[in-house]
Amino acid sequence: MSYKVTEEGNISTVHLDGEIDMDVTEKAKEIIMPLIEAKKEVHLNLKEVQYMDSSGISVLIESHQKATELGTKVVLKEISKSVLKVIMMAKLEQILNLD
Amino acid sequence: MNVAIKSITEQRDFVVSSSSLKEVRSFSREVFEKVNINQDLKDELVLAIAEAAQNIVKHAYQGEDTDDKMEIKISLENGQLEIGFFDKGRPVEEKNVRHRKIDDIKPGGLGTFFIQQIMDAVVFKEGEKPWINHLVLTKNLNA
Repeated sequence: MSYKVTEEGNISTVHLDGEIDMDVTEKAKEIIMPLIEAKKEVHLNLKEVQYMDSSGISVLIESHQKATELGTKVVLKEISKSVLKVIMMAKLEQILNLD
Repeated sequence: MNVAIKSITEQRDFVVSSSSLKEVRSFSREVFEKVNINQDLKDELVLAIAEAAQNIVKHAYQGEDTDDKMEIKISLENGQLEIGFFDKGRPVEEKNVRHRKIDDIKPGGLGTFFIQQIMDAVVFKEGEKPWINHLVLTKNLNA
């Protein structure tokens, strides 16, 4: 997995690239969580994520819950077909902020 | 569904580690490339296999570093797919394996739910020596 972070005002956009599994979840959290803790609105661009498993979904849930707790939000942008399928399989499309 | 190859058996060993999951997916994709099923189903089967392998790392070994290997065997006979997982970790008791309630929104417990969604049957067996656990996932690809 690789990533790029861009900032615009109070919005931080994290562009994730590659496959997100148990092996990279800690790295993903290290990137995303400090932005949420800084009370940024975090956009996760998932266009280039070709694979995500239950560990990756857990990162999305944790991020969403942390953001809600801190009064900000995480928005999922340009979700790839394969990631959307897993989000739907987990029945999270009504819970997470999908754009 | 017409599966192009009537019979296939492939197996491979992997070090029990989260860093092996990428290899597990590559192996699974290579095998399913030989089978005439649609890409969505291939992706689902790869996910189920990777989730089961992840459960071995997370639960049978509780994330500990080890040199132990796990074995994955994919067999297809007349459209009946059977995927076996063998490991030497802590014995898994089937009664302790359950996915979280799907409306209980919290991280974790989703892998088993995905496996059950994708496969027709999930059976835990006691492994024959030298294995401790033997998990069998099955799916009828003719359905």
